[in-house]
Amino acid sequence: MKLIALSLKGLRRDLRAADVRALFVALALAVAATTMIGFFLDRLDRGLTRQAGQLLGGDLVLEQGRAFDDELRQELRRAGLELSDQVDLVSMVSQGDAFQPAGLKVVDDHYPLYGKVRVDRGSGVEGVDHGPAPGSAWIAPRLAQLLDAGIGDRVQVGALSLTITGLIDREPDQQAGFAGLTPRIMLNIQDLEATELVRPGSRIEYELLAAGPPAAIDGLAARLEALRDAGVEIRDVRVDRPSLGRSLDRAQKYLSLAGLAAVLLAGVAVAMATRRYVDRHLDTAALLRCFGASQRQLGQLFAWQLAWLGVVAAAVGALLGLAGQAVLLALLTRFLPLELPPPGGMPWLMGVLTALAVLVGFAGPTLLRLKRVSALKVLRRELDPIPAAGWLVVAFASLVFGALLWLYSGDPVLALGILLGGLVALVVLWGVGQAMLQLLLAVLARLPQGGQKGRAWQLGGRQLARRRTASLGQLLAFSVTFAAMAIIALVRGDLLTTWQAQLPVDTPNYFAINIQPQERAGVETLIEDAADSASGLYPMVRGRLTAIDGEPPAQRVPEESRNDGALRRDLNLTWRAALPEGNRITEGRWFDTDVASGDGTVPISVEEELAGRLGLSLGDEMTFTIGSDSITGRITSLRHLDWESFQPNFFIIFPPGALEGFGHSYITSFHLPDGGNQMLGEMVQRYPGVSVLNVEALLEQVRGILGQVTRAIEFVLGFVLLAGVSVLYAALTASRPARAHEGALLRVFGAGNRTLSRMQLAEFALLGLVSGLLGAALAEAAALGIYGWLGLVPRMHWLMWGIMPLLGAALVGGVGFLLSRGARRQAPMASLRLLGET
Amino acid sequence: MSHSSDHERKRILHASQLAKRVTSGERELVILESLTLDVDCGESVAIVGSSGAGKSTLLGLLAGLDAPSSGELQMFGQSLSDLDEDGRAALRAGRVGFVFQNFQLLPTLTALENVMLPLELSPRQDVAAKSRQWLERVGLGERLDHLPKQLSGGEQQRVAVARAFVADPDLVFADEPTGNLDEATGSRIIDLLFDLNRESGTTLILVTHDMALATRCDRCLRLEGGALTAIERRRGVEA
Repeated sequence: MKLIALSLKGLRRDLRAADVRALFVALALAVAATTMIGFFLDRLDRGLTRQAGQLLGGDLVLEQGRAFDDELRQELRRAGLELSDQVDLVSMVSQGDAFQPAGLKVVDDHYPLYGKVRVDRGSGVEGVDHGPAPGSAWIAPRLAQLLDAGIGDRVQVGALSLTITGLIDREPDQQAGFAGLTPRIMLNIQDLEATELVRPGSRIEYELLAAGPPAAIDGLAARLEALRDAGVEIRDVRVDRPSLGRSLDRAQKYLSLAGLAAVLLAGVAVAMATRRYVDRHLDTAALLRCFGASQRQLGQLFAWQLAWLGVVAAAVGALLGLAGQAVLLALLTRFLPLELPPPGGMPWLMGVLTALAVLVGFAGPTLLRLKRVSALKVLRRELDPIPAAGWLVVAFASLVFGALLWLYSGDPVLALGILLGGLVALVVLWGVGQAMLQLLLAVLARLPQGGQKGRAWQLGGRQLARRRTASLGQLLAFSVTFAAMAIIALVRGDLLTTWQAQLPVDTPNYFAINIQPQERAGVETLIEDAADSASGLYPMVRGRLTAIDGEPPAQRVPEESRNDGALRRDLNLTWRAALPEGNRITEGRWFDTDVASGDGTVPISVEEELAGRLGLSLGDEMTFTIGSDSITGRITSLRHLDWESFQPNFFIIFPPGALEGFGHSYITSFHLPDGGNQMLGEMVQRYPGVSVLNVEALLEQVRGILGQVTRAIEFVLGFVLLAGVSVLYAALTASRPARAHEGALLRVFGAGNRTLSRMQLAEFALLGLVSGLLGAALAEAAALGIYGWLGLVPRMHWLMWGIMPLLGAALVGGVGFLLSRGARRQAPMASLRLLGET
Repeated sequence: MSHSSDHERKRILHASQLAKRVTSGERELVILESLTLDVDCGESVAIVGSSGAGKSTLLGLLAGLDAPSSGELQMFGQSLSDLDEDGRAALRAGRVGFVFQNFQLLPTLTALENVMLPLELSPRQDVAAKSRQWLERVGLGERLDHLPKQLSGGEQQRVAVARAFVADPDLVFADEPTGNLDEATGSRIIDLLFDLNRESGTTLILVTHDMALATRCDRCLRLEGGALTAIERRRGVEA
């Protein structure tokens, strides 16, 4: 107990010391970054699931061709799910003489489970959380145009006449799929029977939408599996997230990466500050030994001191993190649902754990030196205990950091990979750094003695190179710091570029499908006249995969893929001579012959993820049944394609000449600028069979999310940069006494203020320059791996190689110069006396 | 900056009415008061006194490492009160050497690099060769690349002595040069110091509490109550 009180007293006295402050700032930053990102990712994850749930209509969607029974409903409700019934069917609707096929969406009183329906009920578009009342219908503006009807008119649906009370602007659960391409009419489920459209043999999809916590859905796993086997189609929001999830997946990974970078930087700062802390306390430790303190007591005393520091820093950091996530949240309010549960306890726990782990990992071995101090040091100043070996400090810190990596990523292989890669990089860096310092000495020895200015610069360089171990330590710390900062900045840039490139201003906002071959030329002309970009027309043949290498697919594919959607529904096939824009061959070769390869089989190109899921590889043969015929192709290439491109994408591409004999239609996507709607009306009138799908809303949503996530990423980047500066501060503070000593001596030898300033500036600037260069190399190497992990295309960053050394020189030069200003101002006598006493 | 006249050449240091006061809290502490001292070229002067008498403070003032509270000080015929910190440093450069009680070697530099340091401040070509020669002269020719912590206390002080003389100074200050050494080692350092002093014709100003060491100087002064009094003793024959 006494020790604890003593440690608190000691810490209080220590609070003014620069190293203790550096320790505190570094730890608080590490905790702030991790808790902030922890809180944020936790909420983002929930927000995303909600978002996806909204697009899907619920967290869980069950679909079958007949009504669901009450027993199942009760079971789902008992599990804690909220339910909503929905019925989809296609039927003719009419108003006066006008007849139009329309997609009926029949909803109950619980609709929508998530989000709001945006509807114009005569007084402008508003968001409401219900569907139309019995006796009324809401219709899509396009249907209103086709029927020449408006609000207040009556529309005939089957045997029932309904009043149009609203024009649908946007449904919350509007999917980008092609199921509901016919213009929408929404009515209440109580009116369904009266329409007399539900008859044996009619094509009706019954959907049971459920909303509830993931645990409730997980608890139903066995029941859901049984339903699946019974032919019910089940979509789980966590499995079937819409394609925009991919960008966000990257963003999440980026944030985790940034969090870890902040922790690593804080760790480096802690390691640097601890060295100075230990140096400063050696005398105290020796004195305490003299007074009879045991090694154990000494160890405990200083461990307690740092533990207090860690706890307070963790608390401050966690509060900062909480505030930070509130800022992040504010940046994302438009996108995240507002009624979020309060921040969970996990991020708090992780934050404190991180602080303690960083403290133990990065300060522990260095701290041990204090307890090994000899009492005799009181008499003989030079009797300092040997510092912990560099490799031991690095190895222990790596071990702890690896454990943190594992904890955060949940992926031991990844953690081990990063760790081993990092250690190899450190060893290489150590060697290169040493060589560079040697080279610096050699170059300086050969330089002619310049004027006074030149001499000061040379002396600065020489001192840097001569300090060997200390300089090398700083060089490594700064290189790692700069590399971490650079990676986070680079990845941010490349992520944003990728996103921007992915959704340029003229990204298609309309899809047109079901274009018949004879309509092709006409539609193409219409689009070309009005649209400012178009994907071109792709032929589309629908075929079902019925055999792989002659065997039924279910027997060939991996067990977990037996229920894969690709085996249960028709796939869209196309043919094409050239590789579509945005597609990339990952294996094999794009076919350059028209149809048959040497042995008469048709070459085909398959999307790589589908191939992965179904266990397909080059050379496998796939047989598709199209109508009553079938066609077999051999896989000659695998393709990567960008599902977020808003372009027509195909799992399977045939060469020209193979599919033309089958019935086919065309699909295209195009971007229509504002005010281009007239063309749509013309298209619908001239080609009533062509369905036009507006994806503007979806596109906007994706853009909005990306924009907000971008801001969040920039905010986090700021944190990482701050952590980097804390490293600079800690390292430069730690080296301040040594530099002050040297400065005082040089003053005694007759160096003036200006010479000293120049010399120190030269030393810091050179240190920064070399660190920047090594940091650039390290960042480039690390980027290779990280880009693969994030699914970005690796590239060289030439600009960085130019900027980093300059930025490093400016940053280290500037911060170092400012920090050593006080020491330069002291009269040499004072500095020397001061040094005599440490 | 060459020695311009015979008179200046003769008088290398002149201090008159030198005082140093420090304020500690609300009290003013007088360390030195109306102190006068003249040192001639080539002379060796010892300043003795009990600890706390202000010996090191006086040395600091005489060397221009610190500014006096009042009084006049001239070094090489140049008034130090006209000069700022930088001006005083420039005056010292290449002409003043130092030996400290706690050696003041830079721990990360080798013996050779420590000796080279003062030379590197002035334009010279033969820095390494000259430093090596001096280390050989103090008997450390085999230890050039050793770091201070690899050297004994006596060896470290020899490095410091080599460093003090390497720039061919006119004036060498020594602050308790044997204070951190055992008697035998200390006396070897003293022999070395006086030998080098005589060979190079340097002026030596030495601060010590060791009377045996003080008596080897031409002149011996006692610092007491903030003022200097002469101890009339001629230097022994053996030096």
